[in-house]
Amino acid sequence: MTGWLIFFFTLFLASLGFASYKSYSKNRSSDDFMLGGSNIGSILGFLTFSAALFSAFTFMGMPDFFRVHGVGAWIFLAVSDALMVFLLIWFGYALRKRASQVGYKGVAGFVQSCFGNKWAGYLVFISSFLFLIPYVAIQIRGISIFLSAAFPALVPDWGWSLILVVLMLIYSEIGGLKAIMYSDAIQGVIMLAVIWIIGLTCLSMAGGLEAGLAKVEESNAALLSLPGPKGLFSSPFLIASAIAIVLIPVSQPQFTTRLVILKSLKSVHKMAYAVGIFAILVILPTAFIGLYGAVKYPAASTADFLSSALLFDQASPVAALAVVGLFAACLSTTNAQIFALGTELRSLLSGSDKRNMRITQLAILVFSGVVLVFSTYMSNELVLLARVSFAGTSMIAPVVMGAVIFKNPPKSLLILSGLCLTYFVLSLLELVPAGFAGLQTDAAMYCILIPVSALIMAAHHFTQKNSHEA
Amino acid sequence: MKSKIWKIIVLAVVIISIGSFLFLFEENKVDPRFGRIPYVFWTGLIVAILLVLLTFLGSRFFPHEESKKV
Repeated sequence: MTGWLIFFFTLFLASLGFASYKSYSKNRSSDDFMLGGSNIGSILGFLTFSAALFSAFTFMGMPDFFRVHGVGAWIFLAVSDALMVFLLIWFGYALRKRASQVGYKGVAGFVQSCFGNKWAGYLVFISSFLFLIPYVAIQIRGISIFLSAAFPALVPDWGWSLILVVLMLIYSEIGGLKAIMYSDAIQGVIMLAVIWIIGLTCLSMAGGLEAGLAKVEESNAALLSLPGPKGLFSSPFLIASAIAIVLIPVSQPQFTTRLVILKSLKSVHKMAYAVGIFAILVILPTAFIGLYGAVKYPAASTADFLSSALLFDQASPVAALAVVGLFAACLSTTNAQIFALGTELRSLLSGSDKRNMRITQLAILVFSGVVLVFSTYMSNELVLLARVSFAGTSMIAPVVMGAVIFKNPPKSLLILSGLCLTYFVLSLLELVPAGFAGLQTDAAMYCILIPVSALIMAAHHFTQKNSHEA
Repeated sequence: MKSKIWKIIVLAVVIISIGSFLFLFEENKVDPRFGRIPYVFWTGLIVAILLVLLTFLGSRFFPHEESKKV
């Protein structure tokens, strides 16, 4: 396999090098560097959005989720993603309309301008920092667990993490967001191809769909229905997950920014349904891999299952492709998030363009270091940790929505989001009760956040009719 | 006309979403199956495909246009 691995990695690294080279421009402004010149077409837009969305969490977490919790994993992610792409149709329009009026350098700066309040920007930045850092760390942790299990004697855990972060820093610092987008496009195509090859191989090794399902029914019938054998996929969990995932483009800046920098609304709309198709195509084979795992490795640990299903049970070229595909998937999400943190910081800075760009590049370096350290302390529950990240950032969704919808958004949204975000963080730290009324914290917060936000917005709309924009 | 179709599409998405999570995705239900595929999976697959299809239609019938490049 080593020969194949070297071959595919060389190809992959060469394509990344080419992407950086093509994106490099000596006299670029910070807007060119951080926002890719804001002239991205629908194909590149859809690939970069998809690659940023589907990551190690999809590639590794979802097969394991299907194996352990059953078919409800499809509703958890695929149905939620399909709902999310529908929101892009309206949200992309409203966001771009508002951004053309007040300017856009990042979500934090954008809401700061819309609210005319610096705390609005800080709130968005804090939420991004608090929840994107663990999310990035999850990706890095995921790939390092997998590669360490696959090649135990080659490089230690932290070594894989370091390689990944250094690689990402090199090409993003050279080419900026455009390099990240080109590399996302490459990584998205690799990921889709690899996951289908592995999915079909696993399906065939499980004896086909019908035989595989029959075996699963014999061994653990609860995997074939909700809420799954461990009771995870209850209705409140699925609904809360759907809300958190639907709000990703609103509350996770790497996606919000991608909507603004596409060259036209038409590109955004094309991108929306293309991402929906991509979501179905990329999640379906993870169900096949999970089915195979439920048949062959029902009691194995996550790392053992993944290294067996994705590597040791595959032919050498497929296994080598799997390593490169996973690496690509992880890299594309990681770079999108760390770069987004840089973008958010820059959007809050004032001063000369050159100085801001230096500070941002330095900050990206610092964020990467923090992520690297953090990744060594993460647990192995990839999907559930990713979900915490989605839910955490979604607490500031009313602020972004308010900024997009109203000319003079109500400041009470800042207080509401701030309180919900604080409670959510405190509950994660176990300083306040996690949830109430039998609901988990995120579901309980949504029960407050959604109706109260709707009330505030409705009251604001009727009291300030002239300020209604979108 | 575009605006009316868009509103119908939005309504369809709302009905499908609420209907699916409240009524369609029932706990402990494996039958009826599609081939051997359990109930939750094939209904979930159809719902996801429908929503993406509605997104495509939504992109075609969205009533607003962009006035100026961002």
